[in-house]
Amino acid sequence: MSEARGPESSVEPIAVERGASLWRDALVRLRKNHLAAAGLVALFALLVVSLLTPWIAPYGYEDQDLALGAVPPSGAHWFGTDLLGRDLFTRVLYGGRISLLVGFAATGVSLCVGVLYGACAGYLGGRTDALMMRFVDILYSLPFVIFVIILTVYFGRNIVLLFMAIGAVEWLTMARIVRGQVMSLRQKEFIEATTVMGLPRHRVLLWHLIPNTLGPIIVYATLTVPRVMLMEAFLSYLGLGVQAPMSSWGLLINEGVQTMENRPWMLIFPSLALSITLFSLNFLGDGLRDALDVRASKD
Amino acid sequence: MSRPRSDWQRVAALVVCVAAAVAFGGCGARETRAGKASVEGVLLVGNGAEPQELDPHLVSGVPEHRVLSALFEGLVDLDPATLEPIPGTAERWTVSPDGLVYTFYLRDGAQWSNGDPVTAQDFLYAWERILTPTLASEYASMLHCVANARAFNTGEIKDFSQVGVKALDDSTIEVRLEQPTPYFLSLHVHYTWYPVPRKVIEALGGMTARNTKWTQPEHMVSNGAFKLAQWEPDKVIRVEKNPHYWNAAAVRLQGIAFYPIEDAMTEDRTFRTGGLHLTENVPLPKIEMYQKEQFPFLHIDPYLGTYYYRINTTEPPFDDARVRRAFALSLDRDTLVAQVVNAGRQPAAHYVPPDTGGYTSNARMPYDVEQARRLLAEAGYPGGQGFPKVELLYNTSDDHKRIAEAVQQMWNQALGVEVQLLNQDWKVYLNSMNTLNYDIARSGWIGDYSDPYNFLECFLSGNGNNRTGYASDQYDRLVRKGASIMYKTGRLATYQQAEDILLADAPIIPVYFYTRPYLLSPDVKNWQPNHLGYISWKTLYVEPPPEQAR
Repeated sequence: MSEARGPESSVEPIAVERGASLWRDALVRLRKNHLAAAGLVALFALLVVSLLTPWIAPYGYEDQDLALGAVPPSGAHWFGTDLLGRDLFTRVLYGGRISLLVGFAATGVSLCVGVLYGACAGYLGGRTDALMMRFVDILYSLPFVIFVIILTVYFGRNIVLLFMAIGAVEWLTMARIVRGQVMSLRQKEFIEATTVMGLPRHRVLLWHLIPNTLGPIIVYATLTVPRVMLMEAFLSYLGLGVQAPMSSWGLLINEGVQTMENRPWMLIFPSLALSITLFSLNFLGDGLRDALDVRASKD
Repeated sequence: MSRPRSDWQRVAALVVCVAAAVAFGGCGARETRAGKASVEGVLLVGNGAEPQELDPHLVSGVPEHRVLSALFEGLVDLDPATLEPIPGTAERWTVSPDGLVYTFYLRDGAQWSNGDPVTAQDFLYAWERILTPTLASEYASMLHCVANARAFNTGEIKDFSQVGVKALDDSTIEVRLEQPTPYFLSLHVHYTWYPVPRKVIEALGGMTARNTKWTQPEHMVSNGAFKLAQWEPDKVIRVEKNPHYWNAAAVRLQGIAFYPIEDAMTEDRTFRTGGLHLTENVPLPKIEMYQKEQFPFLHIDPYLGTYYYRINTTEPPFDDARVRRAFALSLDRDTLVAQVVNAGRQPAAHYVPPDTGGYTSNARMPYDVEQARRLLAEAGYPGGQGFPKVELLYNTSDDHKRIAEAVQQMWNQALGVEVQLLNQDWKVYLNSMNTLNYDIARSGWIGDYSDPYNFLECFLSGNGNNRTGYASDQYDRLVRKGASIMYKTGRLATYQQAEDILLADAPIIPVYFYTRPYLLSPDVKNWQPNHLGYISWKTLYVEPPPEQAR
């Protein structure tokens, strides 16, 4: 364990090994992984920029100048303009707000619901487990698009609904993954020890089982974010998601693809923004998985 | 735990993979779907949208027209090059000197695709069916030029024998018109005039049952050069050569496959990867690029049609003509068309396309924001205050969306009103318009024949293609009067007055006059473009390029 210690550990007394918490260990290991750290910084920067968009955007996202049309990047329009003469830099900024919001909110929903549901099913086992997982199977069999269309018919089209709809579908796979993990962990000695110690069930679940499944959860979550962002683009294309003139990265890319031969900037900039986000998420997810892998470090 | 490879190794591996995929995806000569079809003599056509139906009496769109014109044949056909009438199922016809009575003589060999002879009764049955009020055909007005047809269609008379059509014997039909109609013969290439298989329809629900199974491949019987072989909704409609067609020997195509590709980008890609011979459309941004590159497969034909927005005049705030005019006046067509639409299209400041049967409207819908604001204020919404949120409906397409977004913003800037965009699938969209379940809807009208009446009659009150709830006695009177005037100058002058009223009342907002851009494979031979977009499938053929034909 000595080589994994942070610099402050060198001043500690030698004989007693201080019980470093999981999170502390993880943070130290994450800091050592430069790609992951860079990912974290980039994501944080994107988040800040998104929050400040209304103040830093040079134009309005709906301001069009038809006479101008699509012009390549210049001093006045850093990313150029789209076919309706709207400033692309502004639209990428505003689009990022939507995309990040949808990506993180929907992933958050799926994370909360999926992890709790899967962990309960896996831990309780037996008939409860069978019942809960059959319910997941039933939800799986509902076609996603039809599900969303039904929701929009009843509740009208708005962005909150979009989170709900996407989150409501995305937690299913998460639940399955967590259930599998928990089922294998349940047999381990440390869980048996908690039973011996007489810990209440919810405590076992929340403090001992779920933290041990964090690795796969985080990896899967980082994969969910990009998928959700692309799903949002698809739904918006069908007219069920973001309403024009508001835009999102997915929609901007879709527009850009149509005219990429003539106006590459309309594709490059939104794609770049999406790629940076996805790369950051992937590196961060990778780093987090290594950092949080308790079983790899505690032996 | 094994040591993971370094991050840079992973990044490098990714780059290599992507590069390899790009390199291998781009090369390799493989046989394309269209190439194979050319050898087999099958034409692959992009058809825009999934047809609403294949019942000629229950449809009103262009995608349906393409399929139906391959399946059925009317009494008269058109020469695709000159658009002059040529014999179809009728071998010849005579016209009375006053231009009111047409007598058609069916040809001997005319047969349905099951081998039954096509008789005069089949035509009468079809015409009775489309005119029957309970069938509620949207397009029945195409037959209103026949004596008493309108009265029968509106339920004023109940007895079909009073309508001016008569079978003199099994192969002779006499049609008596309400008034001389110079374009009468060219109506017969339109699906509303096609015969329908009486026996099949009667066996599967009867004359006035809508949406029965008779249009399914296993039941459908048709009299045209092709018969329906396969209909997979949202995937493909296949027709194959009809061996019982009277002129089957001259039909060179073995079949046609119609692909309902709504997304113009997908269609474009399908064409370029060899999946189609003919596209329905070309995406606007691509047209520009193809023109610059002088892409040899791009064709842009003149097309007799108008792209416009229709307004639901039955609900507030659009029941007020001032509000409608305000919207129409604040649409900057010139800039919109020049920047967003292009493709040789002209901004439409009036409704009937220029030079339709020698008629060009004098009325104009100007671009005048000042007046628009004033009208909106008079209607009780100064600066757009208190104006409800309205929806702009279009059928799913990137091009419609782009135009709608630009217009949305124009209205927002000029009038201060908030417009939301709403897109729907073709069938849902048609249904929304038919049931007046919209505020403003993107729409278009493609001429069926070259006469202003074809455009103007759409907005007669109660017409199935009206779809705006617009009803003006004065307009109705003028259009009908125009149609009844024998001499051309008088007729056209009356149409001028009618169009003046239409533009003043503004149930529609004209946007641009169509052109017809499409991609056509050089394998397709005997292609004859015309401004009605009429395709004579039976004279076309496909031929693989020489080096491929073994």
